Amino acid sequence: MAQARATPRAQSRLQSIFSSRYAVFYVLVLPAFLLRMIYTVIPIIQTVLISFTDRTILGGRYIGLRNYEILVRDSTLIGSLGWTLLYTGTAAVAETVIGLGIAILLMQNLRLRWLSNFIMLLPWVVAPMLAAVAFQILYFEDGGILNAILQELGFGNAAVRWLSDAETARFSTIVMTVWKNVSWVALIFMAAIGSLSKEVLEAAAVDGANALQRFWYVSLPLLKPAIYLVLLLRAMAEVQTFEQIYGLTRGGPGSATKTLALYAFERFFQQLRYGYGSAVNLVLLLVTILIGGIFAWLLYRSREI
Amino acid sequence: MIHRKRRLQKALLYVLLIIVLVGLVFPVLFMAFTSFKTAGEVNRIPPTLWPRYPTLENYPFMARAWDFWLTLRNTLLLAGGSGLGATILGAMAAYAFSRGTFRGRSMMYGLLVASMAVPAMVTLGPIFIAYLQLNLLDTHIGLILVFTAGGMPLATLLLFAYFNAIPRELDDAAAIDGAGRFTTLFRIIIPIAMPGVFVSFLLLFIAGWNEFLFVFTLSTSPDTQVLTTKLYTIPPREADYQSSNLDLVATAGMFVLLPLVPLLMLTQRQLVEGITFGAVQG
Repeated sequence: MAQARATPRAQSRLQSIFSSRYAVFYVLVLPAFLLRMIYTVIPIIQTVLISFTDRTILGGRYIGLRNYEILVRDSTLIGSLGWTLLYTGTAAVAETVIGLGIAILLMQNLRLRWLSNFIMLLPWVVAPMLAAVAFQILYFEDGGILNAILQELGFGNAAVRWLSDAETARFSTIVMTVWKNVSWVALIFMAAIGSLSKEVLEAAAVDGANALQRFWYVSLPLLKPAIYLVLLLRAMAEVQTFEQIYGLTRGGPGSATKTLALYAFERFFQQLRYGYGSAVNLVLLLVTILIGGIFAWLLYRSREI
Repeated sequence: MIHRKRRLQKALLYVLLIIVLVGLVFPVLFMAFTSFKTAGEVNRIPPTLWPRYPTLENYPFMARAWDFWLTLRNTLLLAGGSGLGATILGAMAAYAFSRGTFRGRSMMYGLLVASMAVPAMVTLGPIFIAYLQLNLLDTHIGLILVFTAGGMPLATLLLFAYFNAIPRELDDAAAIDGAGRFTTLFRIIIPIAMPGVFVSFLLLFIAGWNEFLFVFTLSTSPDTQVLTTKLYTIPPREADYQSSNLDLVATAGMFVLLPLVPLLMLTQRQLVEGITFGAVQG
């Protein structure tokens, strides 16, 4: 009935959108699209709204920008933001550089192919929480294997405090993360190297370029888009790291390894301060978008040339 | 002379390769070794590399402590259910994006891709509050829905690439034979793209198997706990709170890892294909 009363023009437009030819595509795409939006966009809107309240598990009221006024003077947050950026930058760059090295090594037609393929996939298939467990065993301080190996190699008997010293714990979490992701990066680079044009490299060889020159002046520039893509994906994953650090150090000692995600979790789920936790989460979202934006721009530019 | 230099180079490469492989495998391998150690050996200083008196006794102990079969069932249900759900929804969306020209197409595609950048932690709080109000906390369906929503963009992108490689003439032929879009998708396109569908399911299954944060916050009883969240609660050795329980920790870790190892061996090629898809087109 409503349709019959609509103006002819609006009606024909409605018809063109929902005519059987197009309707089927909406039926196909909407379940996925709506489900995804319900679980991402709506929670973001709610996070924004909750961040203007002092809501706890008992309820709360609108307090305007109070949470943000506290936020800019929250030294734990600022420390956590700094650590998150340091961790993200160090891990993403280390993974990319080492991953590219491993990829080049594995492209040298060595034997042990099946074994190396299997071992490459192993850290990737290990759950972040499981990586924390495996490294908790390695980093064990009272007679752990890593300290024993260092001693065996002649680095004296000063036991390294892998997880109980703030600076060392930061280093330890980065090592764990690099271990977990470096083979993924290498696999991506192997695919990218495999797709490079052989002719260009052969032409360079004919022109007398040695292996190092061929890599530096020919392969590397051609790999630039892949490098930026890897940096983009890794940085965006690292900046929101929660699981493996929560499993390894719980953000400690003190707040030394507390990333933004851990800090938001602490406020929201452990102290049940929904309002303030949401404000911290928005900082995390903003940083993620910024990092994504920067690398996406680099990637875009590298493809243009 | 050149020959000798070549051989030296080759030897150097192998040394590097072995260093890399040992470095990658060692944390997992040492965890496996540790799981076969006795409580006495794991507390020895200096530690042993190999278990001196290998034992399997940690496995039944941890299986009892964890209610292993229930936890395994929950994990399979969650990883399998969400993998299947996300692959089917993703296939439908990918097909619409690949074949359809409809209003809002690029906007929806863009939003789906952009939503992959949203940190899980940001969405978790409101999801928790909503689940509290909707009585979805601690339910299988609630968790499966979160994971389905989480994995579906990847399935969509992956299958979009696969579907685009299938000639449209097949769709036209099916249409002439009177098949609707749904029939075409499920009877013709998906069977042809089966390798891609399988890769998508595989990646999402492993992601679901390994996820921790959502179950940790949205599950409150053993009835919905999964293997990774159980890693968080490792019992101390009975009547002995002084000594370390690294052997039990390691055994718990093996429970999470071991079921994936055969899968990893059988599907290496598909996994690499799934991981590197899109990297080549860059």
